[in-house]
Amino acid sequence: MTSITKKLVLAAAVVAAPFAMATSAVAEGEKYVLVSHAPDSDSWWNTIKNGIALAGDQMGVEVEYRNPPTGDLADMARIIEQAAASGPNGIITTLSDYDVLSGPIRAAVDSGVDVIIMNSGTPDQAREVGALMYVGQPEYDAGYAAGLRAKGDGVGSFLCVNHYISSPSSTERCKGFADGLGVDLGDQMIDSGQDPAEIKNRVLAYLNANPATDAVLTLGPTSADPTLLALDENGMAGDIYFGTFDLGEEIVKGIKAGVINWGIDQQPFLQAYLPVVVLTNYHRYGVLPGNNINSGPGFVTADGLEKVEEFAGEYR
Amino acid sequence: MTSATQPTANSDERVKEISNFRNALIRPELGGIVGTIAVFTFFLLFAFDSGMFNSQGIMNWSQISAQFMIIAVGACLLMIAGEFDLSVGSMIGFAGMLIAIFSVTLGWPVWMAIIVTFVIAVSIGALNGFIVVRTGLPSFIVTLAFLFILRGFAIYLPQTIERKTIIGGVGDAAQGDWLAAVFGGKIFTGFFQWMGDNGIIAVFERGTRKGQPVVEGLPMLIVWAIALVIVGHIILTKTRFGNWIFAAGGDAEAARNSGVPVDKVKILMFMFTAFCATVFATCQVMEFGGAGSDRGVLKEFEAIIAVVIGGALLTGGYGSVIGAGLGALIFGVVQQGLFFAGVESSLFRVFLGVILLGAVILNTYIRRIITGER
Amino acid sequence: MNPEHAPLIQMKNIEKHFGRVIALAGVSVDVFPGECHCLLGDNGAGKSTFIKTMSGVHKPTNGEILFEGKQMHFADPRDAISAGIATVHQHLAMIPLMSVSRNFFMGNEPVKKIGPMKFFDHDYANKVTMEEMRKMGINLRGPDQAVGTLSGGERQTVAIARAVHFGAKVLILDEPTSALGVRQTANVLATIDKVRKQGVAVVFITHNVRHALAVGDRFTVLNRGQTLGTSQRGQITPDELQDMMAGGQELVALEGSLGGTV
Repeated sequence: MTSITKKLVLAAAVVAAPFAMATSAVAEGEKYVLVSHAPDSDSWWNTIKNGIALAGDQMGVEVEYRNPPTGDLADMARIIEQAAASGPNGIITTLSDYDVLSGPIRAAVDSGVDVIIMNSGTPDQAREVGALMYVGQPEYDAGYAAGLRAKGDGVGSFLCVNHYISSPSSTERCKGFADGLGVDLGDQMIDSGQDPAEIKNRVLAYLNANPATDAVLTLGPTSADPTLLALDENGMAGDIYFGTFDLGEEIVKGIKAGVINWGIDQQPFLQAYLPVVVLTNYHRYGVLPGNNINSGPGFVTADGLEKVEEFAGEYR
Repeated sequence: MTSATQPTANSDERVKEISNFRNALIRPELGGIVGTIAVFTFFLLFAFDSGMFNSQGIMNWSQISAQFMIIAVGACLLMIAGEFDLSVGSMIGFAGMLIAIFSVTLGWPVWMAIIVTFVIAVSIGALNGFIVVRTGLPSFIVTLAFLFILRGFAIYLPQTIERKTIIGGVGDAAQGDWLAAVFGGKIFTGFFQWMGDNGIIAVFERGTRKGQPVVEGLPMLIVWAIALVIVGHIILTKTRFGNWIFAAGGDAEAARNSGVPVDKVKILMFMFTAFCATVFATCQVMEFGGAGSDRGVLKEFEAIIAVVIGGALLTGGYGSVIGAGLGALIFGVVQQGLFFAGVESSLFRVFLGVILLGAVILNTYIRRIITGER
Repeated sequence: MNPEHAPLIQMKNIEKHFGRVIALAGVSVDVFPGECHCLLGDNGAGKSTFIKTMSGVHKPTNGEILFEGKQMHFADPRDAISAGIATVHQHLAMIPLMSVSRNFFMGNEPVKKIGPMKFFDHDYANKVTMEEMRKMGINLRGPDQAVGTLSGGERQTVAIARAVHFGAKVLILDEPTSALGVRQTANVLATIDKVRKQGVAVVFITHNVRHALAVGDRFTVLNRGQTLGTSQRGQITPDELQDMMAGGQELVALEGSLGGTV
């Protein structure tokens, strides 16, 4: 808790008296910075914040979460450069666009900062930029697995509600799903935007225009929650096949109610928590797991929802 | 004949002599200068050994500030000419996307892609200006429309052509291209290597670049920013065209009555703003080697904020390019510095709000002094 | 004033129609160099339309404009300005936030060349501005003093001085005293007097008879788009002028009840 108090003191000093001296901000333990690509509006990343905070507390290290406010990846590249300049022991970052981010990440690695890639990117790319390891769920593979599962359930066409179309990994999920089904993605992916009302209405409009659609695939709570409302409204809830990536409170309720057939849990908590633990142990004792860690995919269905329900939106 | 018409030492005894202090206050850059000193003092006190003032740290906030500066110069001149451009951010995304499509998808040489993109972007700026001048609609609305139009194209074009929203590979295409180096290159690399060799700046500890300085050279981004500020400042204060910019924004009707080609000035300023946005986009694409549909979101407001912090009046007719440059510097240093100081990053907006409010209040005060309003 | 001189500008039978509205129904006025010709009339009498025609903003529907004996067809105000007809508008062509010197040279900035580049010659502009203002009896704190800090009368004076400096032969003053206090008005009237003595023809639009009589050489009264005649200084009394402006009897009755103060 000391780090939070310190931040508050510093923040107060900053606002109230710009020139007053405050307590110096020297860290006790190791310092790790997690950089994500998510805009402020993406609530899913709350789990990540909680994950690193918990790991920081448990390991006795200082952790920090940073993201580009608008989701602009060029801004994210600057944040990585900045994080490297501040001299942390390690950086945990997503690799959502290799072209943009590989330069800054490699520079951080070369200047002596250890990097772990989490969430977005591929194990190959992580190795390429010189990261210690990759912790996450390979997006295409997860989509593909989901597609195979849906095909087994008799799905032939679908709607992919993409709320973060500028991230290649989002598109990978839709593409993997289409390939798993063995169909062409074509126009079955819509750019829904991030606004709940817009997402809902776009889903309604699509399903209205394409009533023969077998399934809906959403890519996270941002698109799943409004899609649930949309299905409620047009009476397709429980009738249409509904799969989603990631979990959240509403998604869990949907699974329980039978509206959502399954959620693909990539267990973001692990993506944030494990890198801090791995890095700390590496820096303290020199031990490092020999392989990448796949935090997902795990399919969450109506069976065994209890723990998920309890911690949905917080740690799950 | 009344006494007032005869030359006397003081034409109106009720006008107090303005002190030097107040005289200094009415310089538009003043807020920017004070703010810059305050911000640097603050971060030197709180974040000195956090890495903010090592070579990497300095390069980091310098680049952020330089980005703001490039678009702030355009926004500043346009605001002084009495108009806004809300399409700057979308123009950044759109122009970057054009360069990527031309050079990667269509395989044009990068220099040609850049030149054609500049021509298209500046033409769109001219169209913006033409619509504003012809219809008499507020530029706020017209450019808001272009905010959506250009962002829409920045998403639609790559989606349709490449089935993705990020186009990479510009970096490979730009290898050895003369014009690409003007935007994405670095200069004084020898000097930085020398500084690295002599331990003045840090060097890479490992990897393929072991022994090379962590900061390779001065990015062209920063060169562009400084050059634009200087050119903008000279145009505004030292040329007759600069006088027209002030006049067009101060009172378009009065300027027209005096024979100032107000419409032409405004259209040219819209074109210049588009030019600056394209410089931003080109530097970004050349540095990162790719373009994304969501580049530049909200940058138009950041530009306007930098300009206002720098002392320009939102109503036009008053402002300074140097001030806007300092505003951009403050913006960049605060944004990056809060992280170095260990302040929760979400508090950045609180700061921005406080600085913006302070700047606007100061500006209003300054205008009262200038115009003698009470 | 100078009857042996030819009139500088002659407006002959000017008619101006806006759709079905006849704003001017054949107005003739001529102005001699060095004369102050006052154009009087109540609101809506056609004064503004008339001077806008003279300064090239409107094209007359009928009638002709002779300037220095030659027939003129002004396409826009710039034509009129370059011929030497300058207008000082009610909305002054002054920008409060800009310095006096920048305002003075607005649209006519002096340039000096440094290499291939042309720069605004601030030294020259400042020098000329200070000099011209001093001639008009205004002592500026400095050439970079903002116009916003000047009084209304001083601003009018800057505008007039500017027009004269840039070669105006005919100076149209549109209600220059309407929003001013007594002393400010006196300043402006004194400026008009100075300008007239330099040989400039002044067209002074006002609806204040006393201001007109203070500086005017001749007086033309407009009423409902027509002239009610032109009179020489000394041939008309203030009361007669006032009556003509109001179009006759109504005001006489009104004036009686107000004790002759209108």
